[in-house]
Amino acid sequence: MSEHLPSPDADLVASARAGDRDAREALGRKVGRSAYVFALQLTRDREAAGDVAQDSVLKFFKNLDRFDVTRPVEPWLYQITRNRVRDLARRQQHRRHQSLEDWIDQGRPDRAESAASAAADAERADLQRRIWRSVSLLSDDHREIFVLRDFHGLSYREIADVLSIPPGTVMSRLHSARTNLRSLLSEHLDTDQETPPATAQEPHQERKQP
Amino acid sequence: MSGPAHGFDETMISGYLDGELTQGDTQRVRLHLEGCDGCRRLADDLRKLSDATMATDFRTPSDTQWDETPRTSASRLFHTSSWILGMIWVIGLVGFVVYQIATDGESTRFDGLIPLGLVATFGLAVLSALIDRVQTRKTDPYRKVKK
Repeated sequence: MSEHLPSPDADLVASARAGDRDAREALGRKVGRSAYVFALQLTRDREAAGDVAQDSVLKFFKNLDRFDVTRPVEPWLYQITRNRVRDLARRQQHRRHQSLEDWIDQGRPDRAESAASAAADAERADLQRRIWRSVSLLSDDHREIFVLRDFHGLSYREIADVLSIPPGTVMSRLHSARTNLRSLLSEHLDTDQETPPATAQEPHQERKQP
Repeated sequence: MSGPAHGFDETMISGYLDGELTQGDTQRVRLHLEGCDGCRRLADDLRKLSDATMATDFRTPSDTQWDETPRTSASRLFHTSSWILGMIWVIGLVGFVVYQIATDGESTRFDGLIPLGLVATFGLAVLSALIDRVQTRKTDPYRKVKK
């Protein structure tokens, strides 16, 4: 299992704690966006995600003085956000959910430099829509572990911390989530297409920057 | 593909793709994938899924939303209520004026509701702002800094 990576936000968090207003605002925007997207992925409800994100940011700043700046911000933030989502789910058990594909941002026309790349972009956008529609159908446990790894890029150790589960459980639950998702998508994944054989990846160094 | 007959723990494919295995396990999975079409297809599919998922962007509210003081549930409730009450009050006021004109100002049945509605609307708005102020005082890291 990988160890925690040095936090890229350590300076920002330290400055915010020291009373730098600009750092505090920048950190607020960053954690606000991250908490919102994660809350949206869990709740599948834009209004609820906004409420949860605001509460999470509030709690985040309230406890910022106690936070270990050498650790990455995201696992702690996602833990706060997840707890808020669970509180909300207990209070509002019959809330109506929408599909996550409705909130994907696909406005990236500058990427397409040729007809071929435009077609590739369209194909990828279509796959992303199908993926997020299927992610919406996963169980809560599978959806949260899948997005924490494959969207937010947390390590297995960090995921274990966020979900309060043993590190050994992360790999099996994540694999189960991925294979369920693959089953839901099986007709859309072109497995006959020529792809390079799968190789082991370096652990994700970059975190999602919404 | 999985199970005792297959003799390979399929969950290790995820650990392999994520770079979360030990060197020995990584080597074991690599060798297995070279000889097992089913597991190789699965690994390719999962890789494709992960790549597309990671590359997704979600629409988020404007940054100004996070610049505002985060509101508590109580503050939001009072704030929303004050707006709703305010709108009802305006509609009521218009209705009342029309009614007064139509009846030549004879009836005073609703006179008391007009100031009451106004007070309630502003009361809720002030309460909401007050809660925000208290919350800000509690969470403001500069509260101990002398100006």
